[in-house]
Amino acid sequence: MHSFGHRANGVATFAVTILAAMCFAASFSDHFNSLSPVASVKILNTNWFQKESHGNDEVSMTLNISADLSSLFSWNTKQVFVFIAAEYETPQNALNQVSLWDGIIPSKEHAKFLIHTTNKYRFIDQGSNLKGKDFNLTMHWHIMPKTGKMFADKIVMTGYRLPEQYR
Amino acid sequence: MDWQGQKCAEMLMQLLLVVSAVAAFLVGYAMADFQLMLLVYAGGVVLTALVTIPNWPFFNRHPLKWLDAAEADRHPRPQVCAATTAGKKKIGKNK
Repeated sequence: MHSFGHRANGVATFAVTILAAMCFAASFSDHFNSLSPVASVKILNTNWFQKESHGNDEVSMTLNISADLSSLFSWNTKQVFVFIAAEYETPQNALNQVSLWDGIIPSKEHAKFLIHTTNKYRFIDQGSNLKGKDFNLTMHWHIMPKTGKMFADKIVMTGYRLPEQYR
Repeated sequence: MDWQGQKCAEMLMQLLLVVSAVAAFLVGYAMADFQLMLLVYAGGVVLTALVTIPNWPFFNRHPLKWLDAAEADRHPRPQVCAATTAGKKKIGKNK
């Protein structure tokens, strides 16, 4: 600590090290959040159900997505990435997950929403297994922090079924 | 700064930065505002820099006692023995 420059260097280095410790503490504090998200998806209409150009089954649906994800937000949350996947089993694959819709929620104020939309991404099967298929719609979310660990979880909604015939 | 002052400056720096960090974290957590935590901490860092980096008078309260000129003349500095061309290899350094 014998010169101006030496002391300035010491302050700068120690300040940054302590800042890293603070960021670690901020991330650790996220473990104490109690999360209570609510979500539901209604399929309002199956618009069409055909084979697409390569012979695989394709469905188009109109969805009503309502959710309240405001409890996922904390002081250390930058944004929440949310997506809805259709999940089902086929003889080829134990689990198929097809993403139908996603969105970024930038703040707590936007976390309670009701969206009426057709599927943002195409629901195409690997093959022709969708006739009369039972499937789940799962809402997944990734809580992206300002600093530190990202938490991801999901809500599974069961009981959806595709039509028996093409239309 | 004198030696005591340097030690004091280092201690003050560590203390002030840790206290700023703890205060910033508590304020930020209580107000659920990440940016507020960073602002309070930045303020603390600036305060620490202002207190510990410049050579303030209170860091010089135990100044080193240098020998004064008259006393120094009475105790001449030890000389290195000047080597002659003949005896260069034989004569080593005298203290």
